[in-house]
Amino acid sequence: MSSTTFRFPDALRFTTYRQKARTRVRRWARRRQGVDKPVTKLQPRRIYILPTGVGLVFGLMTFTMLLGSMNYNNNLSFVLTFLLVGIGFVSMHQCQRNLVGLEVSFAGVDPVFAGQAAEFRIAITNHSKNRRPHLQVYVDGIVSRIDDLEPGESRVFHLEIPTRRRGYVRLPRFGVRTLFPFELFRAWAWLHMDLSGLVYPTPARLRPEPPPTQAAHGHRQHDARGEEDFAGLRRYHEGDSPRHVAWKAYARSGDLLSKQFSGADTSSQWFDFDEVTTADVEQRLSILTRWIVDAERTQADYGLRLPGTEFPPAHGDAHRHRCLEALAFFDLPADDGAETT
Amino acid sequence: MSKRTGTDGSLLASLPWTLGALAFSVVPHVQFLPTWVTGIFLGCSAWRLQVERKRWRLPPAWIRIVLAMLCFIGVLASYESVSGVGPGSALLAVMAALKLLETKQRRDQFVLLFISIFLIMSSLLREQYLWSLPYLLVGVLFTMTAWLRMSDMRRIPLRQSVMTGGRLIAYAIPLMLAMWVFFPRIATPFWAVPIDTSSASSGLSDTMSPGDVSSLSLSDAVAFRVDFEGEVPPQHELYWRGLVLYNFNGRTWTGREPNVDSTARRSIEVNGDPVSYTITLEPTRQQWLFALDVPYEWQWRQNIRMGRHHDLSRVQPIDQRFNYRLTSYLDYRLARDLNTNEHGWYTRLPDGANPRTVALAQQMREDAGSAETFINRVLRMFNTDDFYYTLEPPPLGSSPVDRFLFDTKRGFCEHYASAFAVMMRAAGIPSRIVLGYQGGEVNPMGEYMIVRQADAHAWTEVWLPRRGWYRIDPTAAVAPERIEEGRYGAMMDGVAASWGLNAPTQWIYQLQMTWDALNTKWNEWVLAYGPDQQGNFMQWLGMDEPDWQKMVLTLIVILIVLISIISALIMLRYRPPPKDEAAIAYRRFTKAAGVSPDTGETPLMLASRISRENEALAKDASDITALYLDVRYGPPELVGIARLQSAVADFRRAH
Repeated sequence: MSSTTFRFPDALRFTTYRQKARTRVRRWARRRQGVDKPVTKLQPRRIYILPTGVGLVFGLMTFTMLLGSMNYNNNLSFVLTFLLVGIGFVSMHQCQRNLVGLEVSFAGVDPVFAGQAAEFRIAITNHSKNRRPHLQVYVDGIVSRIDDLEPGESRVFHLEIPTRRRGYVRLPRFGVRTLFPFELFRAWAWLHMDLSGLVYPTPARLRPEPPPTQAAHGHRQHDARGEEDFAGLRRYHEGDSPRHVAWKAYARSGDLLSKQFSGADTSSQWFDFDEVTTADVEQRLSILTRWIVDAERTQADYGLRLPGTEFPPAHGDAHRHRCLEALAFFDLPADDGAETT
Repeated sequence: MSKRTGTDGSLLASLPWTLGALAFSVVPHVQFLPTWVTGIFLGCSAWRLQVERKRWRLPPAWIRIVLAMLCFIGVLASYESVSGVGPGSALLAVMAALKLLETKQRRDQFVLLFISIFLIMSSLLREQYLWSLPYLLVGVLFTMTAWLRMSDMRRIPLRQSVMTGGRLIAYAIPLMLAMWVFFPRIATPFWAVPIDTSSASSGLSDTMSPGDVSSLSLSDAVAFRVDFEGEVPPQHELYWRGLVLYNFNGRTWTGREPNVDSTARRSIEVNGDPVSYTITLEPTRQQWLFALDVPYEWQWRQNIRMGRHHDLSRVQPIDQRFNYRLTSYLDYRLARDLNTNEHGWYTRLPDGANPRTVALAQQMREDAGSAETFINRVLRMFNTDDFYYTLEPPPLGSSPVDRFLFDTKRGFCEHYASAFAVMMRAAGIPSRIVLGYQGGEVNPMGEYMIVRQADAHAWTEVWLPRRGWYRIDPTAAVAPERIEEGRYGAMMDGVAASWGLNAPTQWIYQLQMTWDALNTKWNEWVLAYGPDQQGNFMQWLGMDEPDWQKMVLTLIVILIVLISIISALIMLRYRPPPKDEAAIAYRRFTKAAGVSPDTGETPLMLASRISRENEALAKDASDITALYLDVRYGPPELVGIARLQSAVADFRRAH
């Protein structure tokens, strides 16, 4: 007896064709529409519509009713049947119109660690006088919750895109759809905003102890800025904590300055890529991520040294972000490691 | 998953409406459904609602399966069939009830709403009254509103759901009308399923046994309505010929199945003026058609055929109200030639039955000398002897004709017709019985005639050489007023007398007549709209030689136009809110001043920029900007929009 199990050749499998057809249609839509601006108004020509399963059953039902009416030449059954057919036509147009003129905009995505879901925020605004019920943002199998928009209302829909690898999480395309009024038709619009979010490496679970704290260590002590003693002002750099901005000075001069602090008891640690005792690059990045996350939690200062780059010790959200971002993009080819959904 | 846990109450917003829509669709069926079906439906509905309210659990699958099987067997036992409207609607009601037991999710309610629509449809197949149209519209509104509520994520006010549902249905109505008018109707059905096997036939009986049934139905139900094209003939000429009976076994008269005889029409000779009219026959589930004695022209393509005894029938049974146009001649001669075979059939009497009658007839025939005299003497006997016309005669037992003629002497048309025909046959004169209707009531509201089941009548035809078949109504000899005045004259007099009042009865009568006239218009314009009426209507609209291709094309064009209009109407509802008039006026000003505001530039900044760039405009710029800011941010009563607009207009005129 042969141990190999029988498989249909790929050419005979329906799902393959379906997938191919789907990919082709998407490519076509993309070519046709081009890349969208981050704020896009839905025009009628980009709204597609097809009957839903319920719609097909509804169609079958009206067809049966038509046959019955014709058979019995029953004029009131004709009235009922044609009324339902009319409702079908009307709901098709109503369904499409429910999307036309909506303003779709990208409202941001926060960085996540690989393995977490990146939450893309898509804002939809209803500028018209009419209520827009039953709206949903979706991509592939991922859907936002279904919501309604009152006249003039704007709401944020969330798309949770799972991530696996550090780098970018890309959202080249997403859809907005509606089933209003009777779920007989599904109207949708594809948006190609080429959105992407940042994915930090996954923090390692099991971690070697971070390198020992280096207190008052030669020339580096200068850089070990804590928050104990005010040491002076310097020009604001992007990423400085807003808590450290000298707002009074800004009010006086209009220049943004950051307060610098120093303290003898400030401890600082250096997390060095080359000092992590693991061969695997990804593993090293994970461990570094873990150290940074933990250090930030204790408000300790830390610096990060990667081959070619260095972040002097500091702490705060901006510092943490800069370090993690560097880890996320470390050694990443220009267009590799990006997760395309 | 939800087997273990109870319901989550998420259906509370939509379920009551779905159940309401279902109940509304079941209402017209209740009088036809077995009580247990209605009971199961109501029980399951109430119970399911309570389950949702109290977060109870739904029953396990095996209970549902057992229940489903029991219900199916129950329907089968109640109807002995599963096809037709009766069992069909019972099955739908049961299905709805059982589906409720497993309705867990919002989307399960789709099935219930589909069932609701099918229930409305089957009630229309069963009966189509004037109120059926509003009923179906309300039913669809109810169902679609429930549908919207099921589909909606938020709990929206009921008024809003009803308005949305109503609006969408209102848009659909013009489409429905266009499809209804132009969708080609076909004459022959695809398949023949009895609409409702449970309701008994309301037509005439195929046989006649005077003495068996002791009373005659006085049903006021309409048998048919007649629209005469010219003068209405006098009452005593209104003999509506139906079927002919010629076999007599001593007790029962029987005839032939509906048949075709191509020689029948050729044996009719007509004289005088034709009478043309259209009959709208209520469904009888029989093939017989009724015609003023004697029909001469009819529409072959309506599948109308004349049988051997000059009786009309249609190839298919009359399951729906049926319209047909006929031309009759009141003065006619039928079948002057009768061959020996036929002569034998029409004079045959069973041996030994009703011996006294036979003896009397033979005696009278001998005394009379000629056949005509004999006939007249028999009629005079009915007239002058102690015969009474009554609708409730005593039963007659064996030898019914003997007992009637010699003992009871009471009866209605069937008794007289039967006795007369037997006497004719005993004397060797060919005779036969005609069943049909006599008389009719003209509705003054609609100028048409109503013939009711209570007008059912039986009379005889005898054959004399050279004369052919001709009608003799022995009942007229006994109760001439029945024939002369018609039933109504007599009835109305009686009613008025018995109430002692004339006006209220008249008033009620008028009301009844108006209602019937309305119904007739409804039947004529809506229910009877079939292939012929459609063809005529298309011609009236200006279509030459209407056929289905032309109608479908016209329909498509009309639908495209209508849908474009509806689409535009829907789009109008989504237009952006009215433009800000203050902003428009201010924009006009900036355009006239030759500047365009930069992003983030406030009106004050813009005004100062204008002043910097062009000293001459400085004053206007600051004035208009101030006005604009007042309109925009000030209290509404401070500055009217008109002042800003006129200031801008002045500025534009000046520059």
